[in-house]
Amino acid sequence: MSDKREDAKKRAILLKQLREAHKETVAHAQEKLKAQQAVRRDICKLMREEPKTVPEVAEASGIPAHEVLWHITAMKKYGLVVETGMCGEYYLYQRVKDGKK
Amino acid sequence: MKNLQVDALVVGGGIAGMQSALDLADQGFHVALVEKEASIGGKMISLSKVFPTLDCCSCITTPKMSAVAHHENITLLTYCEVVALEQNGASYRAQINKKPRYVNEESCTGCRLCEYACPLDLPSAFDMGLGAQRVIRVPFSTAVPQKAVLDIDNCILCGKCENVCPVADCIDFTQTAVTFEIHADAIVLATGFELTPTDAKAEYGGGKLRNVVDALTVERFLAPTGPYGHVLRPSDGKEPESIAYVQCAGSRDISLGVAYCSRICCMYAIKQAMLLSGALPLADITIYYMDIRTFGKGYEQFYQNARAMGIEFVRGKVARIHEDAAQNPVVRVEQIDDGSVVEREHDMVVLSVGMLPSYNPGLIYNVPVAADDGFVAQSAANISPCLTYQPGIFVAGTAAGPMDIVDSIVMAGAAAAETAAYLEERRAVGMAGNGRSPQTTSVKEVSYA
Repeated sequence: MSDKREDAKKRAILLKQLREAHKETVAHAQEKLKAQQAVRRDICKLMREEPKTVPEVAEASGIPAHEVLWHITAMKKYGLVVETGMCGEYYLYQRVKDGKK
Repeated sequence: MKNLQVDALVVGGGIAGMQSALDLADQGFHVALVEKEASIGGKMISLSKVFPTLDCCSCITTPKMSAVAHHENITLLTYCEVVALEQNGASYRAQINKKPRYVNEESCTGCRLCEYACPLDLPSAFDMGLGAQRVIRVPFSTAVPQKAVLDIDNCILCGKCENVCPVADCIDFTQTAVTFEIHADAIVLATGFELTPTDAKAEYGGGKLRNVVDALTVERFLAPTGPYGHVLRPSDGKEPESIAYVQCAGSRDISLGVAYCSRICCMYAIKQAMLLSGALPLADITIYYMDIRTFGKGYEQFYQNARAMGIEFVRGKVARIHEDAAQNPVVRVEQIDDGSVVEREHDMVVLSVGMLPSYNPGLIYNVPVAADDGFVAQSAANISPCLTYQPGIFVAGTAAGPMDIVDSIVMAGAAAAETAAYLEERRAVGMAGNGRSPQTTSVKEVSYA
């Protein structure tokens, strides 16, 4: 057990050192992640209760429709959003209820 | 990484490189296949269906990818590039740079737990930026090898992937590039092609107008593994009701410096139009063309079938494309049949982009390219199209010039035969670098029953 703890400690130290060594790229990626999480929060809030189309989400959130589509596509790929049917020429998407994100 | 001694080095893991490697390996020659990407499969693995048979592209490509990976005479080296080449007597010594995957290739099981744990999504180049991939991921669902690769430049080094990885010490953030050598008696260049950049012709608005896309993007829309799972337009996810193709958007255009015909665009546009008619039965599909070139076996019939299906063919050169307030592309075209100039609105416009040379082997291989098109120069194009101006270096597939999949496969087989004959000849005069002789017993028996 103590070996495992020791290993975990070593790994944490190594990661810290690597983060320092890759300071610039890590900072840039962290910014990207923060922005992505903020946008996703807004998008998911709108699709949590009932399914929405891309233009509906875009209009309600103020996020450009092509960006909304990209985020929904990404979340759909990793099982966080599902397609529930169609409304006219647009597909309807809903946030998965037991998703962790 | 140990140095390797092989009979032939195949550069490029697209359909031509894979076919050449398999044909040589089946004859008992030892082959090293070097691919710069993290998976083999080339452009073909991203396509939906092939013309004119409309067979599933994945169903043709994945068995070949798998055969390459499992062939006892093929050493598959992905994420590797030839960075230098020296002539070593009558053979070649290639210096290979293996880029770091930050994942142990031996122990990774391809379970993708790391991918699911990774918090950041990036645009996926495999899906032309319209789909997403994680910072650490298996390149695509049918990738060979099924091994993860980490993009260190976009990684926040949070360690979540490492925490969920079921294999000890598999993810290694400290991995660095390694260099090793391959000694080969012959080389097959199968370095493929690039597509004309979508924004090459400013008048068409590619890269600026969101609903003007290139044909490879539509291949991804039509493929079952595509980003949306449907055909949707990228600006807002609308299912398009009207789609137009602009032919020769990158070929036969002196203003772009491309005077030649790319040979595939007419057929892929017709194929995609047919597939779109199936996917979107109510959609109107128009092809704006100068002339239709359907020269292969069964191609003309395929074109006639498309006409009979109701696909509209408008003879005319598109002058420019702009968009209206609803982001619908508006095509301005001079119709050759009556000389009228019209503007027509569509939901999505597809540019039938052409083929450009992707790699100049002059510097490393000392193999010249043709002055007129930039593809690998063939020393005897009419009688031995796989020969280059460098003895022992052969060319296969679209590295030699624009051609379709069928022709690439045929040329790859021819390159393998030329290479085999060259290797045998060298053995006969005692010049073989590794002294091995082909295991003739491994040649497959052919039944004509």
